[in-house]
Amino acid sequence: MNYSATLINHFRNPRNVGMMRNPDGVGEGEFEGCGDVVRFYLRVQAGRATEVRFQTYGCGPTIAAASAGSELATGLEVEQLLGLSADSVEAAVDGLPEERRHAAEVVVRALNAAARDYLRRQEGWVSPRGGIQHV
Amino acid sequence: MRRVYLDHNASTPVHPEVVQSMLPYFGERFGNPSSIHGFGREAREGMEMARETIAAFLSVAKEEVAFTSGGTESDNLAVKGVAGARGSGHIITSRIEHDAVLRTCQALELQGFAATYLPVDQYGLVDPEEVRRALRPDTILITIMHANSEVGTIEPAEAIGRIAKEHGIPFHTDAVQTFGKIPIDVHACGIDLMSFSSHKIYGPKGVAGLYIRRGTKMVSVQHGGEHERRRRAGTENVPGIVGFGKAVEVRARDMESEAERVTQLRNRLWEGIQARVPEVRLNGHPVRRLPGTLNMCFRHVESESIVLGLDLKGVGVSAGSACTSGNVEPSHVLVAMGVPLDWAMGAVRATLGRSNSAEDIEYVLEVLPAVVERLRSLSPVSVA
Repeated sequence: MNYSATLINHFRNPRNVGMMRNPDGVGEGEFEGCGDVVRFYLRVQAGRATEVRFQTYGCGPTIAAASAGSELATGLEVEQLLGLSADSVEAAVDGLPEERRHAAEVVVRALNAAARDYLRRQEGWVSPRGGIQHV
Repeated sequence: MRRVYLDHNASTPVHPEVVQSMLPYFGERFGNPSSIHGFGREAREGMEMARETIAAFLSVAKEEVAFTSGGTESDNLAVKGVAGARGSGHIITSRIEHDAVLRTCQALELQGFAATYLPVDQYGLVDPEEVRRALRPDTILITIMHANSEVGTIEPAEAIGRIAKEHGIPFHTDAVQTFGKIPIDVHACGIDLMSFSSHKIYGPKGVAGLYIRRGTKMVSVQHGGEHERRRRAGTENVPGIVGFGKAVEVRARDMESEAERVTQLRNRLWEGIQARVPEVRLNGHPVRRLPGTLNMCFRHVESESIVLGLDLKGVGVSAGSACTSGNVEPSHVLVAMGVPLDWAMGAVRATLGRSNSAEDIEYVLEVLPAVVERLRSLSPVSVA
């Protein structure tokens, strides 16, 4: 399997890894096809994600895509997170092999779920584990 | 960075003596072995010497050895060849066969043949009594592998062969992973057809063999010239076959001592991993196992990320589960053995060979724990 240097770099040195205490939004994406799980935590200030952290169980590309996704998401407005595309995550790791494209999809689903969880919390309803979106 | 190759069940580096033996057959002895002139005769001579070497290694007649292009072709020829000679009937195989056998049986089912896929126990062993119970009046073939390529478990070929003989049913075994690694007695095991390959034993790729016991009724699968006694049409890969013969000659010399050395290294690797990494389990039989094969599961880590993590440290192992097109494919072998999914997803196979040293193993023991620990630290699964 040929992976880009950027992907390998993210796999080796994932950015923003780990849990977050008292996040403003939490969301998981799960790829049922292969059991990959990505969980994102958001810290939101004035409608923007000022801190994004993640945990993941998955193959190398999923770990790398989650790391790249956390960088992409940092600084975006919550509304923008809802519109984030798998293509942009894929571009952030300089491409994914066709059979690993699910890595970008699961990351986007998890970020979307975290953003929706934030919005729900704003409406006064708090989910204990955040949103979970199956791919 | 140190590089350590632990994927010898996938392929092996060609032995230097094998390379040397092949060289003349790319040059001055380039002829077509079917040609009657001197150029052809030289090529045929090299090919027949290789056949004799292999036949002697197996204690069979040279006419019983046919060359093919690989283990997959040998398996196809054996299974389809016997099925084609009978026209219809029932085949007994196991759930842990290589795809070359499994998918061939499935393809035959689509053509009207019946097949029974026998279960295995927790170690990957087929119970010979299950073979007996699966027999039907129309059973035409039993095909059970000699040892499993993923977990290394060595199947009870002798007991299965005895049952096949009692009922006059041809017995094929895929010995691609055992040939040249452990002794195989085709007569004691009652084997009628046996697939074996060159590149698993330090020979070149693109060449393999099928042992066909004299009198076994089968048809050819590919049509063309009358090569290989009309069993396999197509000009033979002469340099490859000559190299295969040399590889077998070297194995006959080195097999026993190497098996002992490789087993010790494998055991050292497993003991070291157990001492250093929590939540790890061995797959395959603890004793009835190929010398160099170590298959293990790391819980809460995904196979491919370990393979990639080790690759970045210069270590080549293979994943026991494959994620293809976004679909998890936990190994069909581990599933058949009843390995729970959350373990099976973290299966890694390390297979040792002649080039590995004690220093290689110490290096792997130095880098592997950190790779697994780091991946576990990223995971929401293990902390949930």
